[in-house]
Amino acid sequence: MVPTLVNAALGGLLAAALLGRAFDRRTVALVVGAAVVPALGSAVGVALGWTSTAALQSAWLPLFGTLVLLVDTRWRDRSVLRARYGWHGVRVAWVALASVSVAGVAPDLFGTPGVPLLYPLESVRYSVDGLLLYSTQEGVVQTLSAGGETPGILPLASTGGVSGTTDGRPGAVALVETGWQAVVVVTGALTLSLRLAGVGSGHRDVAPTRATEETSETTETPETLETAETPETTETNARGR
Amino acid sequence: MVSTLVHAGFALVVAAGLLGDAADRRALGAILLVVVLPEADALLGPVYPGAHRTVGHTVVLPVAAGLLLYYDTQQREHSWLRARIADRWIGVAWVALVVHLTAHVALDWTHLEGVNLFWPLRDAFTTLEGELTWSLADGFIQTFVDVRVDPATGQTRVGTDVTGTRASVHVNNPVEPDDPTALAEAEVIDRRFPVAGRGWRLYLLGLGLFTIVARRLQSAPPADA
Repeated sequence: MVPTLVNAALGGLLAAALLGRAFDRRTVALVVGAAVVPALGSAVGVALGWTSTAALQSAWLPLFGTLVLLVDTRWRDRSVLRARYGWHGVRVAWVALASVSVAGVAPDLFGTPGVPLLYPLESVRYSVDGLLLYSTQEGVVQTLSAGGETPGILPLASTGGVSGTTDGRPGAVALVETGWQAVVVVTGALTLSLRLAGVGSGHRDVAPTRATEETSETTETPETLETAETPETTETNARGR
Repeated sequence: MVSTLVHAGFALVVAAGLLGDAADRRALGAILLVVVLPEADALLGPVYPGAHRTVGHTVVLPVAAGLLLYYDTQQREHSWLRARIADRWIGVAWVALVVHLTAHVALDWTHLEGVNLFWPLRDAFTTLEGELTWSLADGFIQTFVDVRVDPATGQTRVGTDVTGTRASVHVNNPVEPDDPTALAEAEVIDRRFPVAGRGWRLYLLGLGLFTIVARRLQSAPPADA
């Protein structure tokens, strides 16, 4: 299993990349919190000997969440979420859902022991782990999907049943298990601290042009760059230094 | 090599995260170019042995570029760069440097024989591999960085695992898929272009695609937000 710290770092990266105008300390905490729910939930389950918390790692939570958000924000005449929390609430809800699914559940799908995607329908853990490459001698080589018979409904490799996945020594917590996880954790922490410190969209170098950029976000015309570079903004920057 | 596509995927997430609202298609495209181009050091391999993961994967050049950027845009009275490009692109340049160091150099550092981190100042391939655990009995234990005190001299050595030098290390890539001496004798050369070598690399690639698709689906904030 991917360590919970890595889930949190991935959630932080998604928060920085997707929250947009809703990015602040509180919403980041919420999105990072959403990323660690599946890992913490199943850890509690393992500690107490419950199997049912494996449902947190299944595909049902992401699917159900998507359905609820779609119905509320798109199909109903008056969205409860938007009425109570406005545009910010809708944005944060979607990003938190992405965080649970993509930063919380998906990393475990691409490693051992995999995740029980359809639990409690069936108690099989699926895993997508292998290589995919193009060879000039052998063509496309892949070992990602299981060929032939699979134990579960889905055409993916399986690593066993739901229960019995306690890993690691008792009393010890793995925070980072490999090199790439260290890179993800450091990068996530760096990105969040730089953004919370006001670099990036609120960067001093970018700030004067921000108003122009916001209106041009959907059009992305090259002209906006020239219009943004007025003598006035250059002056502001010189004084800023 | 950690596949170039995997670097690009992770680079997109980090770049979008650092730029926030300023991440449009042109900025992300420019950053991707900075991240992917150093991979071309593989092309130098045949004329400069061990060039791959040395020339384009050192931290010395990006740090030098960063110092130059800082000096020119922050210290000088009349910045050469500010006179030529919009302020926004100076921010993009900073982000490109950070993304190259994290999504490209650092990821390759953890893979196979690692990278020649301080070339040309010091010729040594190093890898970053290890784990960090916390336990009630032992506290935090990390095995990434080796801190050793030489008993004879009393000097402290700090470093990650060294795998060799430019002369001894060859990291396989599509240009030179095997050791140059083995390639010279080989009858057929199997060039392999990886997409993802392990599940987690496929994940990072997918994470980048997800970020881009999700950002496109997002609704623009209302004027008063």
